[in-house]
Amino acid sequence: MGQCLRHQMHWEDLEEYQALTFLTRNEILCIHDTFLKLCPPGKYYKEATLTTDQVRSLPALRVNPFRDRICKVFSHNDVFSFEDVLGMASVFSEQACPSLKIEYAFRIYDFNENGFIDEEDLQRIVLRLLNSDDVSEDLLTDLTNHVLNESDLDNDNMLSFSEFEHAMAKSPDFMNSFRIHFWGF
Amino acid sequence: MAQPLNFVLNVAETPEDHGQEPSPYDESEVHDSFHQLIQEQSQWVAEEGLELQQREPGAGGPETSGSGQQALPGPEDALVHSTATLRILASMPSRTIGRSRGAVICQYYNRSVRLRRRVSRPELKGVGRSARPSLRLYDLELDPAALQEEEKRFLLVKELQGLPVAQRDHMLRGMPLGLAEKRCLREESQTPTGKQRGRQGPRGLFPCCGRLRDACVLALHSLGLGLLAGLHALRPWRYALKQIGGQFGSSVLSYFLFLKTLLAFNALLLLPLLAFIVGVQAAFPPPAPPGSAPSFTGLELLTGGGRFTHTVMYYGYYSNSTLNQPCAPPLAGGQCSREAAGLPYSMPLAYLFTVGLAFFITCITLVYSMSHSFGESYRVGSTSGVHAVTVFCSWDHKVTQRRASRLQHDNIRTHLKELLAEWQRRRGSRSACGRLRWVAVRGLVWLLSLGTTLGCTVAVYAFSELMIKSPVSAEQEGALLALPVVVCLLNLGAPYLFRCLAALERHDSPVLEVYVAVCRNLILKMVILGILCYHWLGRRVGALKDQCWENFVGQELYRLVVLDFIFVLLDTLFGELVWRLISEKQLKRREKPEFDIAGNVLELIYGQTLTWLGVLFSPLLPAIQIVKLLLVFYVKKTSLMANCQAPRRPWLASHMSTVFITLLCFPSFLGAAIFLCFAVWRVKPSSTCGPFRNLDSMYEAGKVWVRHLEEAGPRVSWLPWVHRYLVENTFPVYLVSALLLAVIYLHIQVVKGQRRVICLLKEQISNEGEDKVFLINKLHSVYERKERSSPVGTDASPGLSSPSRLELEGGQPGLPSARTHCCAVYPHRVDNL
Repeated sequence: MGQCLRHQMHWEDLEEYQALTFLTRNEILCIHDTFLKLCPPGKYYKEATLTTDQVRSLPALRVNPFRDRICKVFSHNDVFSFEDVLGMASVFSEQACPSLKIEYAFRIYDFNENGFIDEEDLQRIVLRLLNSDDVSEDLLTDLTNHVLNESDLDNDNMLSFSEFEHAMAKSPDFMNSFRIHFWGF
Repeated sequence: MAQPLNFVLNVAETPEDHGQEPSPYDESEVHDSFHQLIQEQSQWVAEEGLELQQREPGAGGPETSGSGQQALPGPEDALVHSTATLRILASMPSRTIGRSRGAVICQYYNRSVRLRRRVSRPELKGVGRSARPSLRLYDLELDPAALQEEEKRFLLVKELQGLPVAQRDHMLRGMPLGLAEKRCLREESQTPTGKQRGRQGPRGLFPCCGRLRDACVLALHSLGLGLLAGLHALRPWRYALKQIGGQFGSSVLSYFLFLKTLLAFNALLLLPLLAFIVGVQAAFPPPAPPGSAPSFTGLELLTGGGRFTHTVMYYGYYSNSTLNQPCAPPLAGGQCSREAAGLPYSMPLAYLFTVGLAFFITCITLVYSMSHSFGESYRVGSTSGVHAVTVFCSWDHKVTQRRASRLQHDNIRTHLKELLAEWQRRRGSRSACGRLRWVAVRGLVWLLSLGTTLGCTVAVYAFSELMIKSPVSAEQEGALLALPVVVCLLNLGAPYLFRCLAALERHDSPVLEVYVAVCRNLILKMVILGILCYHWLGRRVGALKDQCWENFVGQELYRLVVLDFIFVLLDTLFGELVWRLISEKQLKRREKPEFDIAGNVLELIYGQTLTWLGVLFSPLLPAIQIVKLLLVFYVKKTSLMANCQAPRRPWLASHMSTVFITLLCFPSFLGAAIFLCFAVWRVKPSSTCGPFRNLDSMYEAGKVWVRHLEEAGPRVSWLPWVHRYLVENTFPVYLVSALLLAVIYLHIQVVKGQRRVICLLKEQISNEGEDKVFLINKLHSVYERKERSSPVGTDASPGLSSPSRLELEGGQPGLPSARTHCCAVYPHRVDNL
């Protein structure tokens, strides 16, 4: 655990971050403190980066079965700058708008990054949800078929972004469940 | 499959050499914001060679796995789509949403243009005949001059400059771009003058003044930040709620949020009462009754009588005259002449109107929050899609503890298994014998439950009659606790009995189980409360003819509230703590008892109903309810952390929140409002105490006031007119009801229409999907045939190295060019040519 230079964030930066993200001032400052504690010593916080492993072991993400995908989606070149962390916290905050959350949820769930959530992605999602590898093939294929029957509107065996958006907009639980608090603990 | 088409594909030429800067496509065919994407993909494709694997991460060359509905080549053939096909597929807009930065920028540029021009959808005929791949709103550029990404970005910045600051920030916040990108956009889109102003600052005569000013501003700002942080920390229970959510998930959290909502309602109720009734009467205390006040014993806290009887707590304390004007009241509740100084304050009127106003505000707030909650949780056509919802939304990302996450995994596994089992059961038909048995079991259990409810009701009624027949003297105040104790015991014991009975009926869906349990408990509680209301207003009024029956009812309700709290504590103690100890020590199970969300919420609703029933007779009852809710919060939270685990059943948190607030509004608040109306309109107030003594009904105070206003003069004559024609007349009520019914019918029809439109649109999308697959296969077969016919060597180039015009076999070369541009994804249906 290193200590960056203890630069207090300039208030113009704070204003800007507050205008551009869905986080409140308090939350931004808490994330700033957490970031400072984790980044390597002797660096200005705007230039420091965190590795994916460091972000994955944050308390908010430690037990999340999708943490590697979350880190992949929000990092640039496998490292997290402070603004990347803020962007991630903003998407997962309570005030974020649904369209933003759905957009990023789609990217997170698209394991093979082909722009679609296809059967392979769905199976991997289910395996992650159940957190075990010995799941019967029947359960997987049955479930995948049900999901595709319900949400795949143009019958191409994949969920495009619009279909995913439509399915999630119908479900009020999505907004409730797609929230992470990156501060305060 | 359709016959071979007269289909002429107009495909542009591409450079043979792959390494060149690719501007291979006719700009009119492919939206060139995917320029970058195609660049990437062509590089990858060249690297991997012609043979593409089926699923290559990041290859960006998705191939359809085929829907099996068309006569496709088998899956092995589908593997090797030609690179040409893949290139075209890769440039389809539906596959690049969200992936390319250029696409996102273009999408938001178009959105902001739309915002400015307020055009909802570009007309089809406005689009040139050039084969734009997509007519979708987001990606269409009406201007045929195609632009590079940089130019697009410049245009976006210009659009952002045109927006007001708040809207611009709102748009930037919602863009799925990185924060660094957004900062650049924001900086660029700030108007130049604003930026300069920000940078330079006012150049005063003395530069040190500027620095001093900056320092002051900074200090003030950090003070402001500190204050804000303090205020945030003060927000009640923020940390506790986060802790609960992190450890137990949204379902248990919904109970605590409901508790917070009830606190807000009680505070809202208490404020007008404190301001207009309690405070005023406390400032002008009435003459003390003859005889000394009884001394304070501890029993008053439980019974509410004794020392508390002649205090602001109860109805009997309030005077029936006009305060601040020392004159003998000539008429009941009448106003004195206006010679005395100071504001005359008529207590009866104030009492009546304040209670009415408090209820009205509560009603409006309840209906608003109920409709808001309903709007958030209900969607047209949302009953289907359970599996998709489970897969994508069932993981609660808020959970941060290892134990809770393990529990979530288990819950999801159980839930998925149940879902699939239910599906299989639904598919398998039940035999007639099985169905009969199903109906019989359910009928029996319902009969038993309703029988239990009836038994409890009869017990309460009998006990209350017994209490009337044997009146309690002043020394035996403790005996007054008997009826509330009986009621609370029944309320505590019967739900356990219901739970045992419910174990007999094995329900298919766990959500239905919860609803049925809530229903039965609710019926029990409401029927018992109904019997008690009849007992008070019907029997007690007669029994306590010359005494203050309102005080008695107020005290009864106080006793019920306090004893309910004590029994909640006991239930928490025995239901959770002792059960956990027993199960750990004796039964040696590591399982903790589940937190019963539905039961606890119903307890809260019951307590709130008692408060609403008692407001008329005991204006300080909401304050006691507030104290009780605060204590219940801490007790439940401690017990939850120590003894319980999250429920194993899946819990649709948002739906259940809507159900709870609806239950709070309909049986609970509505019942209390009916009770209040009956008490105000129909029951004769006692003649020895309270602000309405010597009146025939509480409502008469209002009527007397209106009569006085009529005599007062013509200037306020509209009020008596309103009273006579709108309040006392029944016609406006019928009119308003008819209007309301018409509005409801209209909304029902609108929802029905929307459902039908959704079905049609789904069918249309499915048809378009079929078209798309058909076209892709046609494309594939065209290129395959071409590759087979041309010599092998030229296949090295991945481009569309083809002559400009291709013809399918069976087609005629001299076809009109009207069909050449059928490349659009949403063409006319081509398979019935």
